Amino acid sequence: MTETMRCPRCGAEMNHQANKLVEPLTAQEVEASAVLGGILLAVFACPQCGYVASTRDEPDDDR
Amino acid sequence: MSEHAASVVVSHLADRVGVETRLIDVAALPIRTDDAGESAKDPEFSDAMNRADALVVVAPEYNRGYPGLLKHVLDTNLHEYIHKAVGVVGVSSGIFGGARVIENLLPVLRELGFVTVFWDVNFNNVRTRFDETGVLVDDSFLAVDKFLDELIWMAETLRHGRENVVIGGAA
Repeated sequence: MTETMRCPRCGAEMNHQANKLVEPLTAQEVEASAVLGGILLAVFACPQCGYVASTRDEPDDDR
Repeated sequence: MSEHAASVVVSHLADRVGVETRLIDVAALPIRTDDAGESAKDPEFSDAMNRADALVVVAPEYNRGYPGLLKHVLDTNLHEYIHKAVGVVGVSSGIFGGARVIENLLPVLRELGFVTVFWDVNFNNVRTRFDETGVLVDDSFLAVDKFLDELIWMAETLRHGRENVVIGGAA
């Protein structure tokens, strides 16, 4: 799971503030969601500008 | 009538130092209805939600539920809401002041990632609370200031957490 992200707005290093289970959107994600019942959305917030962004767990990631 | 109730909340927020507020009418948003969820996202609404530290939902109660359009609009975003404060203002023409719509909205807001405050505002008997120009003429039992105290505290605390506290950092 991605644990670092640069703010797309100001370039600062963002804080990994949440992991949220979300519905799978692709066949690959459906297959990968068998373990948790969904796909993890990693949510980040920027300590400089407050911007919020997220990444979806890659199905090939280790769990 | 919900628009009048929302204006009351906005006017109270305008008195708070350091608080920037924007009133968004979900009926005026250019969000498509032939799809749902994040694929129907409106960039301007998403940007407003991304910038916000807290959301006040002013919801009319119809048949004990919330308007479908409100749910449709809320569903268009997700990460923009996570670990942000939310409070609900219920509006109804009856005596319960939207208490049932508030209860029905809470699990939806929780699933969207919001953190709910424990104060609500209930505009009961809404048809007699405002005059014909939309001015509030009966402010009895409206705990708007207590509601906003809690919401702003939660918004400030959660902003610190979002930006500085790593999830799982203590594991």
